[in-house]
Amino acid sequence: MTVKKSLHSLTGKLLLTIGTLMIVGSTIFWYFLFRHQEKELLGNSVKYAYSFVDYIKKSTHYGMITAQKMLIQQTIEAIGSSEGVINVKIYDCRGKIAYSSKSDEIGKTIDRNSPSCRRCHEGSEIPGDTPVVSFSRDKQNLRILNIMNPIYNEDTCYTASCHFHSKDQKMLGLIEANVSLAHLDQSIKQQGIAITIYILIFLFIISIALCTILWNLVSTPVSLLKQGMERVAGGDLDYTLHINTRDEMGDLARAFNAMTTDLKKTKVELVEWGNTLEKKVEEKTQAIQMAQAQLIHSEKLASLGRMAAGVAHEINSPLTGIVTFGHLLLKRFPPGSQEREDVEVIIEQANRCSNIIKGLLGFARATAAEKGPTNINDVLNRSLNIVRNKADFFNIKLVTEFDESLHRVKADASQLQQVFTNMIINAADAVEGKGTITIITKNIPEEGNDLVEIEFRDTGTGISQENIEKIFEPFFTTKPVGKGTGLGLAVSHGIIQDHGGQLLVNSTVGQGTSFFVRLPAYREEL
Amino acid sequence: MSKGTILVIDDEDIVRMSCSRTLVPEGYEVQLVKNGLDGLALLEQQPVDLVLTDLKMPEIDGIEILRRIKGKWPGIEVIIITGYQTVDTAVKSIKLGAYDYLEKPFTPDALVASVAKAMAHKKSL
Repeated sequence: MTVKKSLHSLTGKLLLTIGTLMIVGSTIFWYFLFRHQEKELLGNSVKYAYSFVDYIKKSTHYGMITAQKMLIQQTIEAIGSSEGVINVKIYDCRGKIAYSSKSDEIGKTIDRNSPSCRRCHEGSEIPGDTPVVSFSRDKQNLRILNIMNPIYNEDTCYTASCHFHSKDQKMLGLIEANVSLAHLDQSIKQQGIAITIYILIFLFIISIALCTILWNLVSTPVSLLKQGMERVAGGDLDYTLHINTRDEMGDLARAFNAMTTDLKKTKVELVEWGNTLEKKVEEKTQAIQMAQAQLIHSEKLASLGRMAAGVAHEINSPLTGIVTFGHLLLKRFPPGSQEREDVEVIIEQANRCSNIIKGLLGFARATAAEKGPTNINDVLNRSLNIVRNKADFFNIKLVTEFDESLHRVKADASQLQQVFTNMIINAADAVEGKGTITIITKNIPEEGNDLVEIEFRDTGTGISQENIEKIFEPFFTTKPVGKGTGLGLAVSHGIIQDHGGQLLVNSTVGQGTSFFVRLPAYREEL
Repeated sequence: MSKGTILVIDDEDIVRMSCSRTLVPEGYEVQLVKNGLDGLALLEQQPVDLVLTDLKMPEIDGIEILRRIKGKWPGIEVIIITGYQTVDTAVKSIKLGAYDYLEKPFTPDALVASVAKAMAHKKSL
């Protein structure tokens, strides 16, 4: 399994391919080297054979021209007894063995068709001076080198005193020698073995080196990369590969590290984006819920307004009766009497009822406002002039921070004056006669829709969280009985809403309260 | 001798009673009717110096009564009484010739003052 797996790995494949190529290459190299060596050795043997035949010729030359047959035979026998020489024969021109290293062969004739003769006699041509060389094998399958060299008629032959050969003869005979090649074959075999061993050692060393190089350059970095990818896939984006080589593996590792860094960055961005989205959805949901609550609130106020108007109308007439008859009764009692005081209480309470009704009618606001471009600062000044002379304001510091470049708003000035006066009176009540009321106006730039903000800030007691949700509801008041109707803020809220604005509050118990009136700025039509 | 004749048109008994109890002791001759039609019918027979009329009534409302009186008897002064004061109806009634505008609940002094001024105005013409 492991072997199979490692064969499928990159290193395995490279090793297998390079190994196979090297083995094939080495085998081819080995074959040609071996053949070359063998050819060289054989070539040397043939050269040696030529010299050998020449040597025979020259050794027997003297015997030949002096016709000393015994001497020739002795010379041939001596040569034939040399190591490696199987036999040496000299044929005459008729194929009879004239001399031989084996004396028992002398006198025998070989057939013209024998293999030895056929080589020359097959063609019509008489072979040249070069010896004819051939190879054969003996009974023990050892190779034998066979050399044949014709003996041509020379001057010294036909001029010799024996006159054995005539001048007309062309060829006088043939020398044949057989030499054993057993030693040569042995050395060829030994050389072959040596070459094989050298090549195997070479292959082994190269294989070890190749394995080491591949392991360090490919296998180790690849397994590191694989490990890194598994870590990153498992979510560990802090993992860094430490391959610092300058080769392709190093490049790959650097690219991998860059990818991991990018992935981490993207992941962080995604998470952040997800969080922001969640927050935005939450904000939107809150805004929708608030708008819905506001709508319900407005509906509630509107129906309350209708009811209040009806009630006010019905109650005013009986109140007229109470006030009128109260006054009539008053005239009947002398000043200072108990009865007169009692009737005064009745009239006073009827007047109180009347004030409540007026508040209700203001809240109902049956008529449409008459809106025109209005300077808020001027309206505020008018409201301030009304309250400034009241006894309640003698110990209150009134501070104004008006923005002279304040945008105008499209509004009903008298309604806004009612709202602002109400705000200032509320603030005076909050500071309980002494403290500071600051009125600030400013522009709030908003995309495509600038706003004008009027802040009424007091240094009063503040409004508790519990009450702050109820302050815009009609009839809600914390003022002593008889001092407030609980309609002022509800009416103001209605008026500001009718002007497309907002009435907001921000209060800290013990530090004071700020009411913000925000109205859309008026855009002068060109 | 009577200081003048006054017709009070109001669908509410208590308002009519309040007016008569306030104005009679002041020396005015007061006629009371409970709707516009009766009031106009009475005026046909017997003209008065001043008409006090409620604004919001069934059949004919105060604005219509004012318009008809001023059309037929321009010399009669009209004071509008309402428990439902709004800026535009006030403006409208003054434009149509009403002398004054009284807001319910009014005090006897306010009523007497307003009536006295109207009478003086009528006499000055």
